[in-house]
Amino acid sequence: MPKDKANDVLDAVRGPIRTARGLPNAHYTDPATIAEENEAVLRRTWAGLAVGADVPDPSDCKPITFLGQPLLLLRDKDATLRVFENICRHRGMILVGDACKIEGAIRCPYHSWCYAKDGRLVATPHVGGPGQNSHPDMPRSGLGLIEVRSHVWRDVVFVNLSGNAPPFEEVHADLMDRWRDVDKPLYHGGWDSRVTLDVATNWKLAVENYCESYHLPWVHPGLNSYSRLEDHYHIESRGNFSGQGTYVYRQLEGRDGERLPDFEALPEVWETGGEYIALYPNVLLGVQRDHAFAIVLDPVRHDRTREHVHIYYAAPDTDGALRQKNATRWKTVFTEDVFVVEGMQRGRAAPGFDGGRFSPAMDGPTHLFHDWVAGRIADLRALRDA
Amino acid sequence: MPEDLDTRLLAAHAADDRAALIGLYGEAAGTAKSPVARNFYLTHAYVYALEAGVPEADILRRRLVDYGAEPLD
Repeated sequence: MPKDKANDVLDAVRGPIRTARGLPNAHYTDPATIAEENEAVLRRTWAGLAVGADVPDPSDCKPITFLGQPLLLLRDKDATLRVFENICRHRGMILVGDACKIEGAIRCPYHSWCYAKDGRLVATPHVGGPGQNSHPDMPRSGLGLIEVRSHVWRDVVFVNLSGNAPPFEEVHADLMDRWRDVDKPLYHGGWDSRVTLDVATNWKLAVENYCESYHLPWVHPGLNSYSRLEDHYHIESRGNFSGQGTYVYRQLEGRDGERLPDFEALPEVWETGGEYIALYPNVLLGVQRDHAFAIVLDPVRHDRTREHVHIYYAAPDTDGALRQKNATRWKTVFTEDVFVVEGMQRGRAAPGFDGGRFSPAMDGPTHLFHDWVAGRIADLRALRDA
Repeated sequence: MPEDLDTRLLAAHAADDRAALIGLYGEAAGTAKSPVARNFYLTHAYVYALEAGVPEADILRRRLVDYGAEPLD
């Protein structure tokens, strides 16, 4: 597509909601278009990679491939969590194949170069010849693991692959401020509070669907009895996040009326409030008085996404039956959304689809996400043309 | 290297028995007929000990430093 026409398409997305069109099909189907988009939207921002609970204890590590890049999530012996490129500095061999506990050092399986858990290169066997483990031209100090910029917030591990995004706290100051009252210690619910959905869709469609409440009465009819469309409100912060909130969150109860413990010292608004926010680019967050969740979207391929769902509580030990009931409730809701995001993905193969239109009354949060994606791409193009 | 030791080393490698490898390579170092061979086997013992995070790693490292095979820091 000629450059001016490509920019016109983005301008159409960024226009006022009453006339704006959505991102064109190519952003869901064309690997070349998506490669440029990934650079602008996923690599140069703070993208969600994993959660701290993936490596809960000191010395735990987990290899993760993100955007085709081999990464290693590693918790040091003092519990500091870091992200490294999962490669040996010698010949680029993959260092760790499976999640494991690092007892002492990470040993490359190729020539046995060893790395400490903080990334330092600590052994280079025979590098100076047989039985000689140093060489003047191979200083270990300059050959440690390559660290990827990371930041942990609400247990989500965010990475900035390009290394040059403004600090996380600066980029996401608005949401951190909005949720200051619910910024409490989070305890992962454990094995029954994590689920991964493998979905045949582009990751953006999962964000778009999550942002808006318009679909709730149709796709989640179970909500109609107590959480109607008019009980919801839009959450809109242009350039950072968008989503929806409810005024009528209802706590689960056990057989004898028992409930999950609340986060401490919450303002009254959270008594029946719940907020569900897509933190751009790829993290979906939810918070209520007694639990929170994070969904990290792994953009496996242009038409495939892994949704990693993690549920958190206000206390380390909660009632198992209630916890499982809660997990089942959310899994039902998230699974109900699968046919929608997969259907929209298949719909992107229709040449007649022009990106679609947004309801000015109902689709504001979704339009804001499209606006953000288009804006990031436009900024990248301007940077390259400068 | 004595044939028996070689057999035990190969068996430990086949079983991926890294704890055994530390001891066996240390033993091989003791039978080596040259400083180069000794340092070679000690290095292997050291690397497996380092990977396992066992206290022998420090002892092996100090020996390698003394022999000029491992840098001081």
